[in-house]
Amino acid sequence: MTPPTSGIGAVVLLAVALLGFGAFAYRAVKLYRYLRLGWNEGRTEHLGRRVKDELVIYLLQRKLLKRPYLIRGLAHAFIFWGFIVITVGTTDLLLSGLVGLRMPGAESGFFVWAVDVFAALVLASIGLAFVRRLFFRPPRMHIALDGYIILGLIATLMASLLLFENAGLAGGLLAAHQTPPPLAQLLSLHYPAGLAAGVFAAAWWVHVVTVLGFAAYLPQSKHLHIVTTLPNVFFRSQRPRGALRFIDKIEEQETFGAASLRDLSWKQHLDGYTCTECGRCSDNCPALATGKALDPQKIVLDLRNLLLQEGDALLKDPTAAGTPPAHQFASKPEELWSCTTCAACVEQCPVTIEHIDKIVDMRRYLTMQEAAAPPEAQRAMTNIERAGNPWGEAAATRGDWADGLGVPTFAERPDAEYLYFVGCAASFDRRNQRVAKALATILQAAGTSFAILATEETCNGDPARRMGNEYLWQTQAQQNIETFSRYKVRKIIASCPHCFNTIANEYPQLGGSYEVVHALQLVQDLIEQKKIALGAGPAETVAYHDPCYLGRHNGIYEDPRAVLDAIDGVTRMEIEPHHRERGFCCGAGGGRMWMEEKVGQRMNHRRVEQIIDAGKARGGQPAKVASGCPFCLIMLDEGVGAKGIQESLKPVDVLELVAARVMRDGAPKGATMPKATL
Amino acid sequence: MRFLVCIKQVPDSTTRVKVAADGKAIVTDGVTWSISPYDEYAIELALEHKDQAPDTVVSIISVGGPRTKDALRQALAMGCDDATIVGGDGADTLGPLGVANALAAAATELGPDLILCGKQASDDDQGFVGPALAEALGWPHVSQVTKIAPSAAGTEIWKETDGGHEVWKAGGPVVLTVQKSAKEPRYPSLPGIMKAKKKEIPERSVAGVDDPVKMVIVALEPPPSRGGGKIFKDGDTKAHAAELATLLRDEAKVL
Ligand SMILES: Cc1cc2nc3c(=O)[nH]c(=O)nc-3n(C[C@H](O)[C@H](O)[C@H](O)COP(=O)(O)OP(=O)(O)OC[C@H]3O[C@@H](n4cnc5c(N)ncnc54)[C@H](O)[C@@H]3O)c2cc1C
Ligand code: SF4
Ligand code: SF4
Ligand code: SF4
Repeated sequence: MTPPTSGIGAVVLLAVALLGFGAFAYRAVKLYRYLRLGWNEGRTEHLGRRVKDELVIYLLQRKLLKRPYLIRGLAHAFIFWGFIVITVGTTDLLLSGLVGLRMPGAESGFFVWAVDVFAALVLASIGLAFVRRLFFRPPRMHIALDGYIILGLIATLMASLLLFENAGLAGGLLAAHQTPPPLAQLLSLHYPAGLAAGVFAAAWWVHVVTVLGFAAYLPQSKHLHIVTTLPNVFFRSQRPRGALRFIDKIEEQETFGAASLRDLSWKQHLDGYTCTECGRCSDNCPALATGKALDPQKIVLDLRNLLLQEGDALLKDPTAAGTPPAHQFASKPEELWSCTTCAACVEQCPVTIEHIDKIVDMRRYLTMQEAAAPPEAQRAMTNIERAGNPWGEAAATRGDWADGLGVPTFAERPDAEYLYFVGCAASFDRRNQRVAKALATILQAAGTSFAILATEETCNGDPARRMGNEYLWQTQAQQNIETFSRYKVRKIIASCPHCFNTIANEYPQLGGSYEVVHALQLVQDLIEQKKIALGAGPAETVAYHDPCYLGRHNGIYEDPRAVLDAIDGVTRMEIEPHHRERGFCCGAGGGRMWMEEKVGQRMNHRRVEQIIDAGKARGGQPAKVASGCPFCLIMLDEGVGAKGIQESLKPVDVLELVAARVMRDGAPKGATMPKATL
Repeated sequence: MRFLVCIKQVPDSTTRVKVAADGKAIVTDGVTWSISPYDEYAIELALEHKDQAPDTVVSIISVGGPRTKDALRQALAMGCDDATIVGGDGADTLGPLGVANALAAAATELGPDLILCGKQASDDDQGFVGPALAEALGWPHVSQVTKIAPSAAGTEIWKETDGGHEVWKAGGPVVLTVQKSAKEPRYPSLPGIMKAKKKEIPERSVAGVDDPVKMVIVALEPPPSRGGGKIFKDGDTKAHAAELATLLRDEAKVL
C-alpha cells in the first residue's frame, strides 16, 4: 500500500519524526551521562554466556515465565515479541513514507502474516493487562497513570495498524503482487463510498504519529525498560550468584562501599533505569512479608530517583558527592540491615536486577566507612576478630566436639583426601555439634579419608562479608587459605551452606580454589555408589526446607531431596508453594543470625507456619522438618519452640537422619549414637 | 576538653587461660590479647563525648611491653586522637602502685582535664590502679561511672549504685573508674584502622618510676573443674522440683 505521504506529507512526517526521535535522543543522552557517574565496572568477560543470556532471558523471556507468574508472563511475552515484529514493520512504514524505500522482506507473505498475528496477540494481551490492573491488582505493583498511558499507546498502535490495513484493502490500495494482511482482511468494516482511502490515510497517520510520540515518551517513563533490558541482561553479573563483589587492594582504598552515587557502578544505575516496577522482587522478599522496613523494589527505585534528582549537580561538580545512598531516607539503614541476602528478589526479577549487590555496597559504607553497623553486628565482628567465631566462644575449644570420635586433625593425618571444614555453628553450637558428629559417623562408615583442622580452623568470614565488612572477610579468608595451603588441601567438605558458598564461590577471588562439596552432595554420591548402606527406620513424613545458600545461591535442590528419598521409611514432603527456588528464608542469612529481629513477625515463625499450612494442604502434618544448614536448624528449632510444637515437628539436619540409619559391620551405626541425635 | 584514658592489655575473654609449667605465670603462647573490657567502656565514654564536642581530645596511655602497642592501635582505630606507651625494661612487671605512679608522671606532662580508667582489669581484678592514680595526683576519684556530661559547674558524673545511680559533680580534674554501660564500645571504621596503623606512638620509659610494693606470685592454679551436673529426666516435674530443693539446700547449700 502506498503511504499517504505525497507532497507536503513527507515533509510533515520528517518534522514529526525528528521531533519524536529528537526528544528520545535528548533524554537518552542525559540518562547515559547520569549512568556514567557510576564507576567503570568491567562487564565484558564471558561473552559467550552473555550472548546466551540475551537469547534465553531477553528473547525467550525466560525469567518472566516463572511460577506463579505464568499467565501474565505469557501476556508480556506476546507484547514483547509483537513489539519486535511491529518495530520492523514501523521502520518499514517510516522508510517508505519518507523516501519510498521498503525494508527487505517486508513484503513477504511471512512478514505480513507475522505483523497481523502479533498485532492481534498484542491487543489481546493489552486487554488482559488492563483487566488485571483494574480488577486483579497485584499487591506490590505500582499502578500509575504511566502504565495506562503506555498500554493505551500500544493499543492505539495496534488498532490503527489493523484499521489502516483494512481500509487500505477496502480502498483497493493493495498492489496485485502484495499479500493481503490476513487478519485485517477478516474485519468486516464498511466504509461509505469513497471514504476508505481517507480512513486509510487517517489511521496511517495516527499510527505513525503514535509511534513517534511513544519514542518521545518512553525514556520519561518506567517503560524505558523496553530499551534498557537489552543491555541490562547482556551486562548482568557473571559472578556465581553466591559471590559478592571483591574489593581489590582494600588497604589502599580511601572510601569503602557506596558513599556516593559515584561508588555504585554504572551497571547498578542501569538496573535502576531497567526496573519495570513489576513488584516481583518485593512479592517474594521474606523481610517485607514479615513486616520489616525493607522493600527490594524500593531500594532499586530509590537509587534511580536519587540519580535523577542529583545527576545534574553531580555532573556539574566533579568533586560533589551528593547524598550518601545509604542515608537517602531516614529509615534507609534499617531497611538495609533487614536483608537476609536470601536472593528471592534476584531469583524472581525478570530483568536481572542485582538487589543484593546494592544492599551490600550500602552496608559496606555503613560498616566500614561509618562504623555504624548495629551493635549486635559489631559484637559478632569483634568476636570473629578475637575468637575466630561470631559467638565469641573460646577458640581453643573449636575441635572439642570431635573428642573421642576418632576424627583426625590434618596435623595428625596430613595425607587425608578431604578436609571437613566444620564451621563455627557445628563447632560451638551444641545442637549443631550433633550434625558434625552425624557427618563424621557417615564418613567413617563410608571409609572416606578425611580430617579436620580443629583449632587451626577459623570463621570463613561469610557473616562479616554480608554485614558489609569486606576487610574482615578478607582477613579471615586469607588465614584459612594459608592454613589450607600449608596442608596442601585440595578437596573440601562443608556441612554449612554458608561455608560451602564462600569457600567455593568467594575464596577464588583471593586465589584459593578448591574442589568444594556440600556434605549432602557427597552423601548422595556415597549412597549412589553404595559406599554406605542404610538400615531400616521408622515410617515418617519429613518436610524439606531449602536453605537459600544451597538452593537459590548454588542451585543445589536435587541432592538433598535424593538423599531424603533414599532413606528407608521417609516420605518427603514439599513445603508448597514456598519451596525450591521460591523457598522462604529462615531469617538467619546476611549476618542476621547475630542481629535481633524486633520488627514485625519473626521470619522463622512464619516459616514454621508455612510448614504447618503445607501439611494441612496435603492432609497430614510432617513429623520432622529437615534442612542442610546449621543456621536454618537453629532458627527452625527456635520457631517450633516458640509455637510449642517441638514434640510434633522436629527440626533435624538431613545428615542426622542418614547417620541414624547408617550400617556398620551389619548393624545400624546409629544405634550406638546418643538418643538425642534424633 | 582533654581526656586521658588508661588502658590495660589483657588476655581476651574468649581465650582459654592455662597455667605455665612453673605454676607462677600463664602460658602466653596462643593467647589473644585485647583491651580490658571496662577500659573499652571508658574509651567509648570519652569518644561519645567527642562525638558531641568535636574539639575534645582523647589521649590514651598504657604501661606495658611492646605488644601493648596493639591495644593502643585498637583504641586509635576506634577514634582516639593520640597514644602513649610507657615501656622499657620492667614495664610489664610493675606492681599496681608502680603503674599508678608511672601513669601519674605521664599525666602530669600530658595535662588532661579528666582521667578515665576501667573499674577493674579483667585479668587480676584488683580495681586498684584508678584510685591509686588519683591519690598519686592528689585528684578526687569517683568509681562505678556509667555516664558523664559537662555542665556549667564542671562535670556531672553518673555513678552506679545498687539498683540506681547517684549524680556527682566535679569542679576540676578528676579520675573516674568506669563501669559497663548501655552503650557498647564501638567497632572501628576501616579508615580508622588504616590511620591507626600509620600513627606514631611515642614511648616514655618506666626507668626511675617509684614502685614501692613489689608483688610476687607464689602460685597460680586453675579453678577446680566443675563436677558433672545432674540431669532429672523422665518423670514427674513436681517430684523433680522437690528433689531439686532438697539438693540445693543440703548439697549445694545455697538455700
Ligand atoms: C549471661 C546472662 C546474663 C543475664 N543477666 C541478666 C540480668 O542482669 N538481669 C536479668 O533480669 N536477667 C538476666 N539474664 C536472664 C535471666 O537469667 C533469665 O531470664 C532468668 O533467670 C530466667 O528465669 P525463669 O524463671 O524465666 O527461668 P527458669 O527456666 O526458671 O530458669 C532459671 C534457673 O532455674 C534453674 N533451672 C531451670 N530449669 C532447670 C532444669 N531443667 N534443670 C536444672 N535447673 C533448672 C536454672 O538454674 C536456671 O538458670 C541473664 C541471662 C544470661 C544468660
Ligand atoms: S535478598 Fe531476600 S531479604 Fe534481601 S531484599 Fe532480596 S528478597 Fe529481601
Ligand atoms: S527490581 Fe526487578 S522484580 Fe523488582 S520491581 Fe524491578 S523489575 Fe520487578
Ligand atoms: S540460614 Fe538457611 S534459610 Fe537462612 S539464609 Fe542461610 S541458608 Fe538461607
